[in-house]
Amino acid sequence: MIPSDHFVRFYNEVFKFLDERGGLKDYYEEISRHQEFHCLDLFRRKGLKGVVEYYEKIRKEENCILDLELRDDCLISRMACCPSLTKVLDNDAEPFLKYCDHCAGWSIPLYTKCGIYYVQDMIDRRKPACRSVRTESREVAERVRREFLEGGSPPELVNSNLDDWQEVEKNKSERMKP
Amino acid sequence: MLRYQEDNELHRDFHGTTNTTLDYIAKHYGVDALKMILRKTGHDVYKSIHDKLAKGNASELIEHLNWFFYREQGKYQLTVSENEIVLEVFECPAIRHLHKMGREVSPYICLQTSEVNAGMCEGTPWVSEVKVVGEGHCIQTFRKEAGHDTK
Repeated sequence: MIPSDHFVRFYNEVFKFLDERGGLKDYYEEISRHQEFHCLDLFRRKGLKGVVEYYEKIRKEENCILDLELRDDCLISRMACCPSLTKVLDNDAEPFLKYCDHCAGWSIPLYTKCGIYYVQDMIDRRKPACRSVRTESREVAERVRREFLEGGSPPELVNSNLDDWQEVEKNKSERMKP
Repeated sequence: MLRYQEDNELHRDFHGTTNTTLDYIAKHYGVDALKMILRKTGHDVYKSIHDKLAKGNASELIEHLNWFFYREQGKYQLTVSENEIVLEVFECPAIRHLHKMGREVSPYICLQTSEVNAGMCEGTPWVSEVKVVGEGHCIQTFRKEAGHDTK
């Protein structure tokens, strides 16, 4: 048994294997489908409050230093210490350089299905800190993305599902139906 | 002394992500590829255990097995003698959690154990074996082969 404590170090090995074969994107999509088991119904039913509920559990169980600020129009998440990357860096096996990419990799398809915009700034792939915003407003998501980029974050470190805005809007409308 | 010794909260749902990953790699890349990744995990991630085994020192392996099965509230018995370590797991914490979540258990769940253990032992005087007795019940054996010079 790989202890649950050590899963992320196994994950890191899986990423290295898949990256050499061009298989990361498909795997992230599989993990996203897996995460639907935990998140899809919750996020669809409760929207951003559901996201807060899920991440409060993650913050406790995964020992994150994570600030969640729920505003009227968005949820701001500031990860001051990501336990996942911290463990991968504290590892006798070599860390996968694009380790952080998996987070947006599984999150974007999931949030799109839930009709929620997701904008993430990885800040620095070698440091276990990042920031992200979830919102139901395309306008807010566009503004946040612009602010991340104007603040100096390189485009390759800023991820979002804004390119799929039509899909987000369609899924949001379905979710809002009485 | 353990190289990794987490002692804070546990996120047991990671057993679910491991389960999904085992199936995914086997389905898309084959069981040999899965074995390779698991063995590499055993060898590289647990380098500290591996390197001690190479010198004939099983102390970290014993501590690792005991600490993480205790921490995950597994039902197990660990028996240690000079040249053999036997861990009998009566209720695997990973399988128990998968059942709790209502997830189908991967057919490769025990391969995870056998290959990671084999990776830890690779190139050392120790060999590992996993005998599956029933679902969630296995006997993991690490045996020091006679005639190895560990100096």
